[in-house]
Amino acid sequence: MSDIDKTIVVTGIGVISPYGIGLARLQAGMLAGECCLAPSKDLYPGFAGTTAQVCDLPAVANPSNFYYSRTDQLAVVAAEDAVANLDRESFAFEESGVVMASTVAGLCELDPRIAEDPNAWYRQGGLARASSYPVSHVATSVGTHLGIRGPNCSVSVACASGAMAIALAANLLLDGAAPMMLAGGSDALCPFTLSGFNSLQALDAAPCRPFDQNRKGLNLGEGAAVLVLETLAGAMARRAPVLAVLRGWAMTNDAYHPTAPHKDGVGLADCIRRAMEMADCSADEIGYVNAHGTGTPLNDIAETNAYQAAFAERSRPIPVSSTKSYFGHCLGAAGALEAAITITAIRCGALLPTLRLTEPIESSGIDWLRGEVRRQPLPLAMSVSAGFGGSDAALIFGSGRP
Amino acid sequence: MNANVNLPAITGIGSVSPFGPLAGLIPPRPLEPRAIPWATGGPRRAFLVDPFRPADVVPGLKTRRLDRLSTWALISASLAIRDAGIDLEKVDRSRVAVVFATGFGCVELTESFFQSAAANGWSGTDPNTFPETLFNAPASHVALFLGLRGPNLTVDSQIFAGECALIQAASLIRHGQADLAIVLAGDTLTPSVYAWYEAADLLSPFCYNSEPLPDACGFIPSEGVAALVLEPAGSREARSYARLHSGRWAEGGKQANAIRQILGKYVPDLAICAGNGAPCATSSTAHLAHEIIGFDTNIVLPQAVAAGLAKAGGLLHLILALNSCPISGQALLLSTAGESSYAAIHLELS
Repeated sequence: MSDIDKTIVVTGIGVISPYGIGLARLQAGMLAGECCLAPSKDLYPGFAGTTAQVCDLPAVANPSNFYYSRTDQLAVVAAEDAVANLDRESFAFEESGVVMASTVAGLCELDPRIAEDPNAWYRQGGLARASSYPVSHVATSVGTHLGIRGPNCSVSVACASGAMAIALAANLLLDGAAPMMLAGGSDALCPFTLSGFNSLQALDAAPCRPFDQNRKGLNLGEGAAVLVLETLAGAMARRAPVLAVLRGWAMTNDAYHPTAPHKDGVGLADCIRRAMEMADCSADEIGYVNAHGTGTPLNDIAETNAYQAAFAERSRPIPVSSTKSYFGHCLGAAGALEAAITITAIRCGALLPTLRLTEPIESSGIDWLRGEVRRQPLPLAMSVSAGFGGSDAALIFGSGRP
Repeated sequence: MNANVNLPAITGIGSVSPFGPLAGLIPPRPLEPRAIPWATGGPRRAFLVDPFRPADVVPGLKTRRLDRLSTWALISASLAIRDAGIDLEKVDRSRVAVVFATGFGCVELTESFFQSAAANGWSGTDPNTFPETLFNAPASHVALFLGLRGPNLTVDSQIFAGECALIQAASLIRHGQADLAIVLAGDTLTPSVYAWYEAADLLSPFCYNSEPLPDACGFIPSEGVAALVLEPAGSREARSYARLHSGRWAEGGKQANAIRQILGKYVPDLAICAGNGAPCATSSTAHLAHEIIGFDTNIVLPQAVAAGLAKAGGLLHLILALNSCPISGQALLLSTAGESSYAAIHLELS
């Protein structure tokens, strides 16, 4: 295998977010410092909190009577956006595979009545809706809609899912399982997850304040992002523009607690080190970290400790921000959306600040980005994700320029 | 130099299935579906796991807050490690991956969460239940209980979740992202799952205790979790059930050509048919196996108890088939769906 067969590149990015459809809208909104978080009261009776919703989700053409959940629809719209410039008659496209992440999947289509009398609920129209419940349905929806026939699977590893989908797709490309992979994540807002996080008292009723000493919790959002991944050899063969290089990736687990991260961020620090090892880069070469940064007390302190440990060798503080402060935590989609944002940061040379960060967690070796967008060349940047169950993932992207 | 030394090998097997909790291969014995306890509209049957005390199987295991899927995942993983003869104290556990495949995830607690929402409103749901409804809860509990700090994945594929998990785990080892992997696949049966199968008209006439037609389609639902230990062959002195040469699953394409590519120069002596076991599905898989490797080849047909796990049944199919296999030779684990979807894994039995 030559180097160009082992180099994984990003040649397409599709996004649907509370800013709208497309990376350009996301980029413009975030660079302008626009926050999509807003009060919401209609998601279920009694809920009064802050979320970021996707408005005007376009209907997905459905000639085969396949049932698309809202999560599926978000995924399909993002995938369509990602492949907009691809030749759909090409071998690479037709044989491409799909790895999609989700935590909600078709849960957003289910109703508490399913648990009371499933037979009655299915008779009353729930049967098709329930068919979208398995997480595999998200990847199947993308594959079916696009008519592609490579390996197809979904990943569900809580909030680390989106980044892991990208990592697994990269592994499959190295295995030669497909000439091209569509990888990303999608999740819709739904009463089940809102209620769950609310019951855990993990939600901030106001817009969240990641890494702030006065942070009170997270806000949920929704959206989807899909990256087109292929080997550099594949991209060169079809003269595709290279948007970024996926230089390294790693996945670990804290094995510490069912929901809480290890307070010292041990697993996450190990994950970051492994990704840097794969990328063959030093801690000094990473110019920016797009953090998981949920805004919960436990996550943010664990993450801070992880960065202090993993970047301890650096000669200067590591720039870190959480872009969940713009449109909330999109769960299984978060890692994929943040991968897209990290690539945007590299391509624009723009380090996005964390919104509402006024009193950062006291730390050494971390340059908390806040206030204005910082403009600087950014050859290498990292996107970090973590989730319930102790899972961690880190992706390192580099400029696509030689 | 033996070219197979670095291939991932299956060195341990564990399962919690309707045959009970077992380390190693499952001794063949007849198994009949039983009446499900929650049926209301006449008799309904399935292959069910009998209740047992987890601590009797894995001493020290505390499962009071877990659902059956997480409990079975913990037990089957522990049994597979025991079967592999691995002392985890001597292993770098930061290099051990867990890859879990499930179709429905922790559906028992998802139902329970919905019930609490129905009873108390969405504002009155149970905070202890919510994290346990996540699809990755079983794999996380395996990592937590056994202290495994490598990649921890939960995957699902429309038809071939178990095969997908096995292929992904082998990939982690091949790319140096893990030294050892615990691969699991399984599901639990609940009222809403069974009712969905029934409403979708997927069940075999056997489920209704009626006299089945010989070519009737449909399957008998089952439940359980199967686990395999995967590690590079030759990495230590260990018995190996099989080595994984290669594998692929895909939604489409020319099945026979793609599978021949996977096999390369090898001609399998045996084809193990997975899939949902319905005669209409099995016959197409067996036909494809014959087309690829000839009519003289041994074909192991799916066993109903594994077929009942539907897309999470791939590992249980393999474990059950290993009992009826020749002790060595090339084998193909094969599953198909529709005209073009397939999963194929090339194994060398040892």
